[in-house]
Amino acid sequence: MFLLFLSSLVASAQGPATESQVKAAYLYNFGKFVTWPAVRANSDSFGICVLGKNPFGNVLESTVAGESMGGKKIAVKKISNVQEAAASCSVLFISSSEERRLDAILAAAQHMNLLTVSDIHDFADRGGVIGLVSEGDRIRFEVNLNAAGRCHLTLSSELLKVAVRVIGTVPGS
Amino acid sequence: MAEKRTRSISGRLMMMNILVSGIALLLACAGFFTYDQITFRQSLVRTLSAQAQIIASNSVSAILFNDPQAATTTLSALKSFSNISSAGILRSDGKPLAQYSAAGQKPLVTLPQLPKGGGEAHWFGTKHLLLIRQIVSQGKSIGLVYLRADLHEINQRLKRYATITISVLLISLLAALLVSGAFRKSVAQPIVQLANTAQEVSREKDYSVRASTIADNEEVRVLVTSFNQMLQEIQQRDSELQQAHDKLEQRVSDRTRELVSANKELEAFSYSVSHDLRGPLDAINGFAYLMLKQYSANLDPQGRNLIEQIRSGGKRMTELIDDLLNLSRITSSVMHSAKVDLSTIARSIMEELCRTAPERKVQFTTSENEEAFGDPHLLQIVMENLLRNSWKYTSHHQEAHIEFGHTRAEGKTVFFVKDDGSGFDPRWADRLFHPFQRLHSSVEFPGNGIGLATVRRIIQRHGGEVWAQGEIEKGATFYFTLNLPDKNV
Repeated sequence: MFLLFLSSLVASAQGPATESQVKAAYLYNFGKFVTWPAVRANSDSFGICVLGKNPFGNVLESTVAGESMGGKKIAVKKISNVQEAAASCSVLFISSSEERRLDAILAAAQHMNLLTVSDIHDFADRGGVIGLVSEGDRIRFEVNLNAAGRCHLTLSSELLKVAVRVIGTVPGS
Repeated sequence: MAEKRTRSISGRLMMMNILVSGIALLLACAGFFTYDQITFRQSLVRTLSAQAQIIASNSVSAILFNDPQAATTTLSALKSFSNISSAGILRSDGKPLAQYSAAGQKPLVTLPQLPKGGGEAHWFGTKHLLLIRQIVSQGKSIGLVYLRADLHEINQRLKRYATITISVLLISLLAALLVSGAFRKSVAQPIVQLANTAQEVSREKDYSVRASTIADNEEVRVLVTSFNQMLQEIQQRDSELQQAHDKLEQRVSDRTRELVSANKELEAFSYSVSHDLRGPLDAINGFAYLMLKQYSANLDPQGRNLIEQIRSGGKRMTELIDDLLNLSRITSSVMHSAKVDLSTIARSIMEELCRTAPERKVQFTTSENEEAFGDPHLLQIVMENLLRNSWKYTSHHQEAHIEFGHTRAEGKTVFFVKDDGSGFDPRWADRLFHPFQRLHSSVEFPGNGIGLATVRRIIQRHGGEVWAQGEIEKGATFYFTLNLPDKNV
């Protein structure tokens, strides 16, 4: 028997992740629990777009490097206008720098079936699909099912299970 | 003895039954148990694996979004499985995200490493089964789930099996007892009966007994039948032997009767001869006497001497005939047994003898109260003959000594009459007791040789023995024993 102490496993692990690293990983992981309408499924890459001032530096790129989503390569794009997302984005991170134009952005994203994610305060309440919130030193998230429905996105119950708050109900349930 | 044998045969049958059924049952139980253990372990692993799969797929999001609460909720579903003692979800860096442990149990702190390439592995311990499964998302391992199941249930099953085995063993023991009871009837009982019959035969010597042939068992029936045949043969031989014996007995009694009648005829003949001889003899004696009395003046001395010779011869012949008649009377007379004081008899005889020859110096000693059991008249004759004998054969000595007494030899009383007279040649000791056999000439000692023969006849009629010891000029001793059953004592 090869018994290893968990403490030794901890020792071999990397140092504590930064807030940016956690958020970057979340952006990537959300994709695993969301089903997009067929239109989106046709594109040959899985795009994660950052709108506005990029808070990740190059952390996002390094996080998704070599990863894939449903057999598609993951591509990170930085855009300054929501219209740029239409072509190749599946996940749209809205930087806090865009808070003033949020309603317009969300309205646009709804037609593009984008999974909108942001750490803007009360993002989910304001019509975003997933809003990142800080809970102590942990990063958690809220889900707005009504917003997801408007974007024709199906969120896995697994995702809802770990959400700190779920707004609205699953359509049909 | 018979009881003991009964127990041993039926006991052995019972032991056989118990042993056979016990061994068969133990083997069967061991087989069932082994099979059950294997299948139970397999199903346990399958169940645990399914549970691990469910937990793994349900905890992907919790790991990805670092949500211990959700993971804990997932694990808490295990509460309904009482056999799971602890479980845990570990992140890929090895840190536990959530742990679960049943009441009174501790979560695991050490985990064995999964073999390379294996998504799942399990280890059986003495009390626990540990199963580890990788949690995979998008083809990548993002963590581990482990489940530890208590093997308490298996041990419980083991106990249940042992209980069932023991109770079935007890029941089979009871069944064996019953079966052996039935066997005893069909196998042991005929053998026991046979043994009893054999014992009865040897004890009672009754060969007409037969063993019962009611036996289901072929071998036992053969045994009983051949035993009975053997008895039949023995009985037949026994009766043949008895017949031969009876025939022999018949022949002996026939011969005895013939012999007795011949003997009686002989005695009657000798008696009548002796009796009839007396008539002519009395005539010879009487006429010789008359001739001597009336015609002695006419005879010369030589004639007178010749007539004296005739008278002397006649007198001797009369005595001889008297003795012969006495002898035959002794043989045929009826015996009346009584206690007899031989000392008194001996003394009175000696007194009478001394009176007839007062000039002789004879010392007589006798011990007092020499009592014997027999016919008083016949014993009187014995004592008279023996003492007169001693008196006669000491007559040539100046002084003589005669003794009567007894010694003991081989537990019997041996009476004796001892003298220091002329004695006899010991070579002819046996001839002393034959009638008309004399060791001395009648000139030396008068007599006709009937006395000791009479003594022997009387002693023989008393079931005793008589014998003599002596040497020439050194005296003689006559011994006799009496062996009549003493009814009065």
